[in-house]
Amino acid sequence: MWLKLLGSVCVLAAGTYIGFKLSLRCSQRPQHIRQLVSCIVSLKSYINYISMPLSEALVKSTLGTEGPVAIFFKEIATLLESNIWMNPKQAILQVLDKMEGQLALESTEKEILVVLGANLGTMNREEQNKYLSMIQEQLEKLEQEAVRTRDLNTKMYRYLGVCGGLVIVILLA
Amino acid sequence: MGLDILFKIAGVGILVSVFHTALKQAGKEDMAHLCTLAGFTLVLLWVVQLLGRLFGTVQDVFKLL
Repeated sequence: MWLKLLGSVCVLAAGTYIGFKLSLRCSQRPQHIRQLVSCIVSLKSYINYISMPLSEALVKSTLGTEGPVAIFFKEIATLLESNIWMNPKQAILQVLDKMEGQLALESTEKEILVVLGANLGTMNREEQNKYLSMIQEQLEKLEQEAVRTRDLNTKMYRYLGVCGGLVIVILLA
Repeated sequence: MGLDILFKIAGVGILVSVFHTALKQAGKEDMAHLCTLAGFTLVLLWVVQLLGRLFGTVQDVFKLL
């Protein structure tokens, strides 16, 4: 009897944990996109007005930003510095793979970042500026969408987690 | 058999209604309907099993067939 009760509590706790984890990921997405936008805006300035080398500009653009997004940019910079043969696209792909669980980004944002990497450093300064502005616009639109999704989904994930745990407990009882 | 199956059915009903409301509020009407259908099927399976037992008992009592 007590073992059954303990098992039920464990299943319920696991369901609740999964629900809260998913809702946290959902609520972190707009924040991460916002940080990406702010980093890209400063990267644009560093490329456009100071003509700083890419790896250095990537590190500088994260000033004032904390968390996984700052680590993402710094990791790219480190990779680019340590492997001279590597292009930005490869570096971004590698770091995205490495930070899969930490960045709360969906495939759309990842695609945009990969395309950004493919075009960084291949055009002149003016074109890069235009291109970065376009990326910034796209990310801002995605951020608005992510805020809307967050408002709808965070509560739902929590409810589904707790109730899913309860359903499993009832079915197994 | 006892009352436990009744409580189980009641519990599933309450939870399915919570699922339905949560999913509907999140704008996922199709998933909400799917969830309700899954709950209904589950309860139907339990009820069909009980009905089978009831018919078996009736057959035994009246010595039919």
